[in-house]
Amino acid sequence: METEIEEKIESRSPAHTDRRIGFSERAFFMLVLLVLLAALAVVLVLSMGMGASKIGFREVLGALLNAHGAGGTNSVILFEIRLPRVLASALVGAALSVAGLLFQGLFRNPMADPYVIGSSGGAALGAGIGLFLLPRFTFLGFGATATMAFAGSVATMALVYWLARIGGRVPVVTLLLAGFAVSTMLSYSTYFLVVLDDNFGLRTRVLASWLTGVIAVPRWSQLEVTAVMIGCGLIFCLPLARRLNTLSLGDDYARQVGMQVEKTHLAIILTGSLITAAAVSLGGVISFVGLVVPHMARLVMGPNHVRLLPVTAIAGAIFLVLADTLARTVLAPSEIPVGLLTAFIGGPFFLYLLRRTRREYAL
Amino acid sequence: MTSLLEFTGVSFSYEERSVLEGVSFCVEAGECGALIGPNGIGKTTLLRLAAGILASSKGTVSLAGRSMNTLRRGEAARVVALVPQRFEVPFDFTVEQIVEQGRTPYLGLFGGFKHRDHLAVERALHLADIVSLRRRIFNELSGGERQRVKIALGLAQEPRLLLLDEPTQSLDLGRQLELLGLIRALSDEGVTILAAMHDLQLIEGTFSSVLLLEPDQELRKGPPQDILQPEILERAFDCPPRSHPKLSGTNWLQLEKTP
Repeated sequence: METEIEEKIESRSPAHTDRRIGFSERAFFMLVLLVLLAALAVVLVLSMGMGASKIGFREVLGALLNAHGAGGTNSVILFEIRLPRVLASALVGAALSVAGLLFQGLFRNPMADPYVIGSSGGAALGAGIGLFLLPRFTFLGFGATATMAFAGSVATMALVYWLARIGGRVPVVTLLLAGFAVSTMLSYSTYFLVVLDDNFGLRTRVLASWLTGVIAVPRWSQLEVTAVMIGCGLIFCLPLARRLNTLSLGDDYARQVGMQVEKTHLAIILTGSLITAAAVSLGGVISFVGLVVPHMARLVMGPNHVRLLPVTAIAGAIFLVLADTLARTVLAPSEIPVGLLTAFIGGPFFLYLLRRTRREYAL
Repeated sequence: MTSLLEFTGVSFSYEERSVLEGVSFCVEAGECGALIGPNGIGKTTLLRLAAGILASSKGTVSLAGRSMNTLRRGEAARVVALVPQRFEVPFDFTVEQIVEQGRTPYLGLFGGFKHRDHLAVERALHLADIVSLRRRIFNELSGGERQRVKIALGLAQEPRLLLLDEPTQSLDLGRQLELLGLIRALSDEGVTILAAMHDLQLIEGTFSSVLLLEPDQELRKGPPQDILQPEILERAFDCPPRSHPKLSGTNWLQLEKTP
């Protein structure tokens, strides 16, 4: 028997063959990654060219490659305004999508999303507190906004995790109800900070934009801090991805095969909160990205988190760069908050998923 | 010779409610044991203690001669695998992706598969006879097929002891018999098995020993023909027999709960 099975394994190609599509799963994964990376590059360049002042694809590309530098005004527009903004969109999109993937794996529930479960709201409140009450606070070189956003996100996740879990399971109903209640409290607490500020100054405007989800033009220093946070978060995700597969089979099963379940849950909460906080400190509360993108990625790649992780990150970046480009061009010269746009796209999608989930898991 | 699994005076309680009290028994390598007892007596709890998911409040659970308390979870998972009764999978994992999770105790930080891991998964798929199902979505399988996948998942751990919790539950007669055939085949392959069984009619012919948990009594263990006796089962399951002169010997199947 042993030899027979050995022979069968030897006779197989190095990667497993998928009969449906006719080539190996690994080759398909690599192809999807390459296509997505190419699409991201094209979308970034196209997006940089679009806006109140249109700049051609070749000119943008040339300026980026420093071949025939776009002189004067265009150079300022491209490097001081458009480039930081599209990079911010890409980072926020990747972060929120991966956070959604992590939380869905943690709760074993496709409805989990940083916005739906209140993690984004917690980060926004934390960031607001940092901005208003602790403006001089720093921690390990990170400013009050980023640090407090992280603290707010972790605290909210811990609360929702505690509220929504019943005997090791997280039913859709308790997750959505706990998320709704906590999010609502957080949003109004953040509004309260706005009310406290009599002058309706810059900080209030920043806070108000956080609540609707606007990717403003960030400072390069701000972009660097966020990129470091998201980069670290994505690296932490690497060992978590396979563990999310095992956790999908239930906490008891994961425990049985030797996983330290509580520690893994904590690692997922901290990592998810870190990247949510980074995304929120850059773009505010942008809804449903973490719901739509992992779902789409799952349709293409299947549920294996090891492969879903990079696909979700790149697809999330593409999604939000496109959404933000649309947000600043569709009613040009005025802009609409990108959070409004993702709510328009994500809201109906959320309802569709809710309906499907109700059928499959008996809501 | 050291027993593969040994319980010595093991007690366990869920908060206030005591489930097991001073349970002692051994399972030797190569044995195929059926664990029986009335509902709520603690069969699942006993299996979970044996798998190291729960820790006993008193007494010692030993696995291959080592106390469970001194074994790390990963180490225990290389010796014993528990196939749970309930198993819900929220996403559309294929059978192969599910069975691959059984390799978790052997994987490093990033979880890369080595040749040996692929081999163990193949072996598990073959032993459970589900090679043809490998690309199918687990949630779309029938009850009997799912049961086989769960057993393959346990086998992928390459355990010396396989624990099955009610493997024939909610299967029709044909699938029950198929599953018993699989249990016999695994036993012939040298896998030691301990299965909590609800249906006593399925025990003889497949299991080499029976472990009976009964209220306020020590765990009783012996060959099926010794344990599956009317007077023993009557007391254990609290079901007086019909007063019928022909009821004797192996006619225990005709036991009936009196109103």
